[in-house]
Amino acid sequence: MNEIDRQQRLWIAKQAEKVRKGRMTRREFIRAAAMAGFGITSMRYLTGCAAPQAPVPTPAQVAATAGPESAIEPTSETAKWLRDVGGQFRGTTLRVVSESTPPSRAISQIMQEEFIPLTGINVEWEQLPLDQVLAKISQDTAGGLGQNDIYYWDQAWIGRFVNDGVDPQEMMQKTELSMPNWNFDDFLPPLVENIATYKGKLAAIPYDIPIFIMMYRKDIFEELGLSVPTTMDEYLEVVRAIYEAKSGDGVYGTTAQWKSGHYALECNWTAWHWAHGASIFGADEVSNLNDERGIAAANYMLELGKYMPPGVTTWDWSGEGDSFAQGLAGIYISWGEFFPGFDDPSRSKIVGLAEAAPCPKEIALRTKAECGFDETPGISHQGGSSLAISRYSKNIDAAWIFLQWATSADITVRASILGGGASPTRRSTFTDPRTLEFNKVVPGTTRHFAVTLDAIENRMGTEPHHPAWAALSVDSFAVELGKMTTGQQDVKTTLDNMKAAADKAVAMFRQHQYA
Amino acid sequence: MQATRSHETRTRRRVPLWSPEAPLIWMAPAIILLLLYSIYPLIYNIWTSFHKFDPLVRDFVWVGGENWSTLFTDLRALNAVRVTFTYSAIALSVQLTLGLAIAMLLDAGVYGRGLWQSLLILPMVTPPAVVGLIFRLLEHSEYGVISWVLYSAGLIGRQEPLLGGTGQNALFGVLLADIWQWTPFCILILLAGLKALPTDPLEAAEVDGANAWQKFWHVKLPLLRNVLAVVILFRIIDLFRVFDYIYVMTSGGPGQRTETISYYAYQTYVFINWGYTATLGVAILVVIWLTAFLYTRIFHVEW
Amino acid sequence: MAAERLTAKPVATTPKVDRLAWLRDGRTWLRTILIVFIVFIFVFPIYFWFLASFKPFGLIFTLPPVFFFEPTFTWYSVVLGGVPYNKVMLELTGALTSTGGGLYYSVPYIIDSIIIATISTLLVVLVGTPAAYALSRFPMRRRHDVAFWILSTRMMPVVVAAMPFFLMYRALGWIDTYHGVVLVHTVINLPLAILLLKSFFDEVPFDLDEAAMVDGATRWQAFYKVIIYYVLPGLAATAILSFIFSWNEFLLTLTLTRTSVRTMPVAASTFDTATGGTEWGFLAALGTSAMVSVFIFVLFVQRHLVRGLTMGAVKG
Repeated sequence: MNEIDRQQRLWIAKQAEKVRKGRMTRREFIRAAAMAGFGITSMRYLTGCAAPQAPVPTPAQVAATAGPESAIEPTSETAKWLRDVGGQFRGTTLRVVSESTPPSRAISQIMQEEFIPLTGINVEWEQLPLDQVLAKISQDTAGGLGQNDIYYWDQAWIGRFVNDGVDPQEMMQKTELSMPNWNFDDFLPPLVENIATYKGKLAAIPYDIPIFIMMYRKDIFEELGLSVPTTMDEYLEVVRAIYEAKSGDGVYGTTAQWKSGHYALECNWTAWHWAHGASIFGADEVSNLNDERGIAAANYMLELGKYMPPGVTTWDWSGEGDSFAQGLAGIYISWGEFFPGFDDPSRSKIVGLAEAAPCPKEIALRTKAECGFDETPGISHQGGSSLAISRYSKNIDAAWIFLQWATSADITVRASILGGGASPTRRSTFTDPRTLEFNKVVPGTTRHFAVTLDAIENRMGTEPHHPAWAALSVDSFAVELGKMTTGQQDVKTTLDNMKAAADKAVAMFRQHQYA
Repeated sequence: MQATRSHETRTRRRVPLWSPEAPLIWMAPAIILLLLYSIYPLIYNIWTSFHKFDPLVRDFVWVGGENWSTLFTDLRALNAVRVTFTYSAIALSVQLTLGLAIAMLLDAGVYGRGLWQSLLILPMVTPPAVVGLIFRLLEHSEYGVISWVLYSAGLIGRQEPLLGGTGQNALFGVLLADIWQWTPFCILILLAGLKALPTDPLEAAEVDGANAWQKFWHVKLPLLRNVLAVVILFRIIDLFRVFDYIYVMTSGGPGQRTETISYYAYQTYVFINWGYTATLGVAILVVIWLTAFLYTRIFHVEW
Repeated sequence: MAAERLTAKPVATTPKVDRLAWLRDGRTWLRTILIVFIVFIFVFPIYFWFLASFKPFGLIFTLPPVFFFEPTFTWYSVVLGGVPYNKVMLELTGALTSTGGGLYYSVPYIIDSIIIATISTLLVVLVGTPAAYALSRFPMRRRHDVAFWILSTRMMPVVVAAMPFFLMYRALGWIDTYHGVVLVHTVINLPLAILLLKSFFDEVPFDLDEAAMVDGATRWQAFYKVIIYYVLPGLAATAILSFIFSWNEFLLTLTLTRTSVRTMPVAASTFDTATGGTEWGFLAALGTSAMVSVFIFVLFVQRHLVRGLTMGAVKG
């Protein structure tokens, strides 16, 4: 027994003692253990095979915790499929590269406990900050040698890499490899359409879906007698009111992810831009982002900036999330991924005080048909990502086994809860009893999921899909916007420069007949 | 920087290239390694700077001098050059001044020097990427200790924190990290230089009744010239290539206020504009090379 | 020279020594106080980082900063003890938050860093010393140019050198291998090492080589049986600097590795900008433990560092 193993068992025993003393219900205990990803070894131990001093939950209880399809359950179809079908590839090594996100961490943990032991397929999963993932995938696809078997594609990159992935339809036809109950139709259709499809053709499997929702401080709203804003004007009014009433106590009206030169800033901008009825490209595939709607949006954004902490211009999403968790702002619109952390007393000063709500109604909204390159305006900016198998992989079939497992309903639920309330991509997750259990004030809460689902289905904004987008959105837009938000450049110049850059990028690709 | 010339005075005789009396065999492993790792990237980058990476065919295509003509009209590159020079000049002068002052203090005699020396090495053994993170926390606009001290002292306003606001203090914020990390390097080498100073000229000056300042200005400083040359040369090379702090602390922002050439090159690299990355790289190399070359000439640095 | 100093000193300074002894002493105290203050400023960020590694997350964002608190060992238990993150979070909050997974266990990263820095330092010394010796000893018409060329290999921006290295390594199958990273670190440290070592060798009188060879030693024997002992302190200083530079290297290692080799700075960068927020506690614990391991090493060798540098590198 190694040290880690020993620690785990000690911990289980300690928790079990709590159950005996009645400080924890048996059910809570089992869920906790299962969620800690302790997996098969601990479970066997719990069921009485290993240590005598442990409590003995019934196998039925264990099964209830993990879900009927979990591979933890050795007789489940999943376990059988992993053993029989996955086992054919025993000894293969798969390499995955992804952003270091909560669900990725959770899945890689479950993978160690379940996928690897059952299939004998070794998986090396490299997790990095987003820009480093992009650098790695660019490098990898450049020479086409396939250092990685599975790529993580941010939705902004799909146009860039679509030719480097294996067509998922092709894989789905290999019925001998199909995972039982994998059920592709369970993925939310807007996600399939907007994060995994390029030019009408499925290119990858939806993986996760960070999306903008509105989050506000219930206590401040009650104190100041404010109501939740439903229009853009109301939103600005509320922000201003909070700032005027509370800035003396160190609470700003709102906060933002305005790190200039960083993708985060561009994401923030699109929300205001789309909400003012503007778009990045017109239907003629020429950029129209500097029209009067665009200018109104940028002015709106700068107006909000007056009521933010001065540090916002160097904060990306982490800095922004930290600032709200520390009680620095009254309301903001951004990634719902950070919401579950606000109920965590160990890192938040606003436990139980944050509420989620749908974003205010857009002043005007262009339709997808009015825009170019599949751009879909909507205030709830989405930053979803998908997983794809590298065309250069030498283990395409084994990679497909892993990909199905990693995106299966059971794993999505567990990744969502283990990942501290990360938004899931499957409809079934939103109604899964395990997810619903967290619908209360608790660290890793899922009480914002109703708003998230609404945002995905009705309010979602998707950036244009174009091979040049990854570079354009950061290297040009985020830099120009950075000059604007820090007062180094006026709105008109900024938007004009952005339009020029967008048109130039599109023209360059058209000239080479890529797009 | 030693100009020992005794070997020159010996009679030169022809020795076979591979004899142990000839330098080649001694230097061969080092030269092979350095060639492989410096000439190859250099040639590769010069070649690439005349190409453009084509994502469709996944290969480089010839574009002639396009990247180079872009470079000379690229306002962003110009800005990056300006930022890099400002950054380097401030960092270098502060590090040298502080380094020299503290080294002289240590050299003049303090109790427990070994301990202070060791503690001063601590910043050097912290990876720059981590230093950037530490300073990001220390300079946090709301909760940073350094910010707090500066606010309290009235040196900066709350609306213009080190990291944030319109970014007018951002370069200073990044410089703090650089200065903190590299001043100890200067202290260390300059202290070694001071320790190695010959005693005769100082004693002569003392006999002549020179005061402390005169001794420093007219005796010590000229004697330290070569040591300073080493420090300056190595610092210039590293400062012109500064990347880690920028990457971690500001991403080149706000706006482009802290975008150095290396960081700009990294951006073009991430976004697969590899032809231009190489162009920028070769350009930086040339600038550094020229600066170092002129420097060795002007200050008569002779190996 | 020693004789001169003996005769010169008494005349100039003896009368003062007795009378002003207390004053001199006082000045030393004054300087000591000043240096303590300076050292405090330089050590403060690290001290703060050290404290952060024991702070519960909530205390990291407080102003004025908190210096006294009940320490938590949570971060260390995960980073060094290998306790699963999920378990820690369950104990801390009663549920799972933010992130999951066991990727925070960082002892392997620190070990990788130590292995790579140590081996590359050995290689630097092994390859650099003979080269420096030759550069110092043998007649060479273009000595300055050779030295300048060696220095110039350090001038390529790392960002730009990364790509050709990556391509070269992929062709050789060296991506994500220890020897690959070790070699790169060796090469980036060679220029500094050779130039430093050359000046150490310059300090050693050339007659010594001649004498050894007159006694029947070959050039090679003269080098490794005699001369090398005179430069040992300098060698130590060079080795320490190489070690530090290799320890700190980030971008090349990131580019040339994937999962099986991972050094401390690269690991630290993954704790940042993850969607769940920056993990300050883990970062601080990782940073501090890595720093402590090097600092112990530095504490033992710092004497050699200054003494070594004193003997040559920087002499006028």
